[in-house]
Amino acid sequence: MKKNILFISLLLLISTFAFAQEDSTGVKVKDKPVRSPFESGYLIDAQTTVIPNAHTLEFVIQHKFGTVENGHSDLWGIYAAGSNIRLGLNYVPVKNFQLGMGMTKKNMAIDANAKWTIFEQTRKNTHPIAVALFGNVAFDGRNESAFESGMVRKVSYKMPVTFRFSDRVSYFSELIIGRKFNDWLSLQAGVSFTHYNAIGLAYDHDKVGVHFNGRLKVSPQGSIIFNYDNPLKIKKISEQLTWTNHPKPNFSFGYEISTSTHAFQIYASATNSILAQDNMMWNQNEFFSGQYAIGFNITRLWGF
Amino acid sequence: MKRKLINLLSFVGVVAIAIVLFSFVAPQDQKAGAAWKIPAEYKSMKNPQKATPDLINVGKMAYAKSCKSCHGGAGLGDGPKASSMKTKINSFKDAKFQAQADGEIYYQSFIGRDEMPNFEKKVPDTEDRWAIVNYIRTLK
Repeated sequence: MKKNILFISLLLLISTFAFAQEDSTGVKVKDKPVRSPFESGYLIDAQTTVIPNAHTLEFVIQHKFGTVENGHSDLWGIYAAGSNIRLGLNYVPVKNFQLGMGMTKKNMAIDANAKWTIFEQTRKNTHPIAVALFGNVAFDGRNESAFESGMVRKVSYKMPVTFRFSDRVSYFSELIIGRKFNDWLSLQAGVSFTHYNAIGLAYDHDKVGVHFNGRLKVSPQGSIIFNYDNPLKIKKISEQLTWTNHPKPNFSFGYEISTSTHAFQIYASATNSILAQDNMMWNQNEFFSGQYAIGFNITRLWGF
Repeated sequence: MKRKLINLLSFVGVVAIAIVLFSFVAPQDQKAGAAWKIPAEYKSMKNPQKATPDLINVGKMAYAKSCKSCHGGAGLGDGPKASSMKTKINSFKDAKFQAQADGEIYYQSFIGRDEMPNFEKKVPDTEDRWAIVNYIRTLK
């Protein structure tokens, strides 16, 4: 599996150079990037290939209520205890490169992330697709006692004798490929790798996942949006004999309204996670069994 | 007697403070904006983009994102934010507005002044800016 991942990564890298060569030796006509393949860098729980203009600061509020399973007794999750929220700030120091950080309620996490749009899709198909890399490192901020219940480190497979700061750390990285097919349809596919430094004995430290999401624009400002994340069952990287605790695929859909400085998304989503690695490692909710929660994202941009 | 006086003075004081505070929240009449001082280079600026249906559609999309909230869907100056402005927003259907050169509309739309903010960073592509100008032309 590791060889396959390496092969795919190399193939993508080579294809980047191929586009670059075509640019330097071929047509001199400027081919501009397509307009707004997505309205924001966020698509429900996922990232898009879109990065705001250079020197833009973005503030994002991501919120999920509890699942709707209890019906009107907790007002379809609005009064439920299992809500989650993340407040994030992103800044774009140079074109197509974004740095960000955020705080999430679940596990009292603090995360730092970076996104690089390697190339954007262009109007004359010089680049028929957009390609982006996203990486995220999260620090579990709970009390040390939360780490003392049978968690193991991958290197030693031994119960930690003494707690180390690195036991709090988890990582998520994703390669995203997207295409705006026409004014109303944009789709993305991605492959990701998730790693937890320390995790319970019955779980895997690593997960590889695939992602599929998109938008159907129904008005100049409104779009129907959806997202699907599937953590793959790959025996070679699993540390378990059975798939008992394997995370469930996450499905979500919603509606997005955007202006030049805001994007507002309201959605229904299976996972109660907001951080991608948390979703890929821990989601046990199944959307089509009624285990989904209502949530919303709000982004605000400031140009400097 | 003293207590009654204190109560009366307190009542008068509260009413006086309320009058002062309400004067800040009471609806104010919107003033008409002063005449625009548009630099000569914009007055003579040629629109490099033809008003093709595709580009007008681009302008319509961009208008919806950046302009509609104040200027309204039909350009009447009646968007949801319009009533909170100190300056009255004129209609794009106004013959006087439409009689202006494209460069003048460009200046007013993207360079801006006062409550009409600069939109150069929010609409960074010049082609998109002219697309908006071309779309505004269709609102007459």
